[in-house]
Amino acid sequence: MNEWLQQHPASIGGLVLWAIGLMWLMPSGKPGKSRPVLPGVVLVAAGVLSFCLSAGRGVDTLQSEVMFWTFAVTALLCAALMITSKNPVYGALWFALATLGTCGLFMLQSAPFLAAATIIVYAGAVIVTFLFVIMLAQQSGAAGYDRRAQFTIPAVLSSFVLLGLIVQQLQTSPLKVERTKIAVAEKQGSARGSVTSPPALPSPDAPVNPPPPPAIPAMLSKATADTPVGGMKGLGRSLFGDYLFAVELAGTILLVASIGAIAIAPRREEGAL
Amino acid sequence: MSEVTPLNYEELRSLMVAAGLFVLGAIGFLTRRNLILLVLSAELMLHGVSLSLVTFGKIHQNHEGQAFTIFVLTVAACEAGLALSLVLALYRQTHSLDIRLWSELREFDTLSPVAADTDSPQTPPSAYDGIPLLTPAGRLPQELPKTVNADPKRPDRTPV
Repeated sequence: MNEWLQQHPASIGGLVLWAIGLMWLMPSGKPGKSRPVLPGVVLVAAGVLSFCLSAGRGVDTLQSEVMFWTFAVTALLCAALMITSKNPVYGALWFALATLGTCGLFMLQSAPFLAAATIIVYAGAVIVTFLFVIMLAQQSGAAGYDRRAQFTIPAVLSSFVLLGLIVQQLQTSPLKVERTKIAVAEKQGSARGSVTSPPALPSPDAPVNPPPPPAIPAMLSKATADTPVGGMKGLGRSLFGDYLFAVELAGTILLVASIGAIAIAPRREEGAL
Repeated sequence: MSEVTPLNYEELRSLMVAAGLFVLGAIGFLTRRNLILLVLSAELMLHGVSLSLVTFGKIHQNHEGQAFTIFVLTVAACEAGLALSLVLALYRQTHSLDIRLWSELREFDTLSPVAADTDSPQTPPSAYDGIPLLTPAGRLPQELPKTVNADPKRPDRTPV
């Protein structure tokens, strides 16, 4: 712990700046005396930047560096603005922006299908539903409960202690990962070999022996040279191979949840909203 | 074919951003008082978890992280729909989105949950005075019509 504190002052400094910025941005409930937003945003952005910088610098390409910084700062800054917004409509819109930043990070972690699905589900469906509910239930003007947060200092302090502990564990623990190199070159070689020596055509006299069906691997979720991580083929094999029953269950859950939502939602004969 | 190495900095910073998203969602859930913002903060925490899962899948080179994230997405969509209809049902009771009005789930006849904070409006009296305050399951019970005595020849016999 002590060594970590000395080796990573950027982590601690970033966390402290971030927490102070959040406390500054939180609505405090003083009527007519709202704090300016800009210092809080600057504090949070500086904290997020130095927090992410403390992961170390690598030798990555410039494009991926720029993309990572853009997406990470977008996600974290918009999330901070979302949880501190006085107007829930703005909160929902900041949440949509934070979702976009998260989807960019999905893209960088080679999950393009998930990025598209998350944008469609969240920005397309969930945010619209939230905005409808806000329009149905929101009172005109900022309500009292939106202008004052509760337990600001204990919540921010305990949450940032949690975040600091997670980051300390990630940065110092001897976390070793066994990485399996996927043999791409081997496959290319075999493909080239098959081109140079095509299989001999079966003579019409020979007895027809159907080729044996390809052996199904024990676990379809492992990435192979044919199905690298990030491709749709491998994800589909994993979902509809290893997790077929879970997919069916997920569909059932969606059905039950939609029926439940219709049953819970108030109807007109029970009184207007 | 396989080697054992520590996390590289790309995976490390992605996991750190995921932890940051999760913690921001937790702060929002703890501090805000609007029911809708609470649900949104829970969704933000799910974003952090999804980013972690996707990064773990990339680290271990398999598709399980992404498959799990799809299930997280499904459950999050269900949760959003159910939570919003619950919010509407609660709003119909109190005409307010304040979470503090629901800090006690016991039923009581006097609606005065707001003590120190006068900003929250007092809830108007409900249209369902005298009956439990939870969402009624069906129609209001009505007075049964007086049953006519079935057999006029035996007036002492009353229908059960």
